[in-house]
Amino acid sequence: MVKQFAEWLSTTSPSVFIQNHNGWVIPAIQSIHIIGIAAVFGAVFMIFLRILGWSGMDQPLRQTTSRFGPWLTGGLWLMLVTGVLMVIGEPVRELVTFSFWVKMFFVAVATVIATVFLGSVRRHDQQWEDTLVKRRSIQGLAILTFVIWVFIIILGRLIAYDHIWGPWSPATKA
Amino acid sequence: MFIDIDGLLKALEATGLATKIRDSVFLFPMIESTHVIGLALVFGTIAVIDLRLLGMASTNRSFQRVASDILKWTWAAFALTAVTGALMFTTNASVYYHNFYFRTKMVLLALTGVNMLFFELTAGRTIHQWDQAPSAPRAGKAVAALSLTLWIAVICVGRLIGFTTSRAAAAPPPPVGVSFDDFLK
Repeated sequence: MVKQFAEWLSTTSPSVFIQNHNGWVIPAIQSIHIIGIAAVFGAVFMIFLRILGWSGMDQPLRQTTSRFGPWLTGGLWLMLVTGVLMVIGEPVRELVTFSFWVKMFFVAVATVIATVFLGSVRRHDQQWEDTLVKRRSIQGLAILTFVIWVFIIILGRLIAYDHIWGPWSPATKA
Repeated sequence: MFIDIDGLLKALEATGLATKIRDSVFLFPMIESTHVIGLALVFGTIAVIDLRLLGMASTNRSFQRVASDILKWTWAAFALTAVTGALMFTTNASVYYHNFYFRTKMVLLALTGVNMLFFELTAGRTIHQWDQAPSAPRAGKAVAALSLTLWIAVICVGRLIGFTTSRAAAAPPPPVGVSFDDFLK
């Protein structure tokens, strides 16, 4: 069903436009997508370092999240827009893969974590500062979240190499 | 006196390391992903410092505080990116070496270094005068704007390398249906 949808999408006019200009449109969108990764992952990294006490310790956690939170959410929107454009431009290459759907699952998980976390720090900044940020469990969650983002980046790159999943990849089935 | 650069590149491609990466199904994609992770952190952290110089973010902290807090991570990420980049280069050295976008990227990377040196010789000498100020003097702002531009350009031409070079082919798989017994007859 996904394959049929992808094949239909590739016949629509926005898709045909990108396909006809793929000499520069696809690399341009991908480059902007990578710049989006730098915004999101850079922001995640700075907050991660602050929670683990490795950077930004001269200021409260709330300062770090309000400095980098908007870059995290803004970057995510940029990635959504460029990501959708890449799917429109190359529907079969993107959608008919194992990597893409696993990546989308982890993107959803990571986005929920980011939203809940940023909202909670905004509402309970004193509690976060006094106790939560020092808790082992919270620091463990920070490490887990960072690892999820690393997986997302790897899975994104693996869309181009989906055959490495062998029988799990729909792309290897003729 | 000539240096046989093409010979050197071929020798690099023939090394055990390069062969191992080429022959593996997952090593090259993994190295490439690590390169993306490294470059995201390089650009992400450098942007924090550049925006501070421009007076556009983190202005509640002194420049030196921001820089000393972050630069060590930038260098660590840069090392990761350089090592993974070098590993990818070995797999198809002669193709990358002659690729226009690869060469452009190397020139741009050198320019980021020159830009950093220029900072050290200008605004970097008077940091104590503007450390607490919301933005750097004009030379520092120019360096920051150029730095952001150069790194975005590095990312764009870097992505184009992948579109203009074919990935080196792994060794062909052994022929199917051939038994060693046939050779022993």
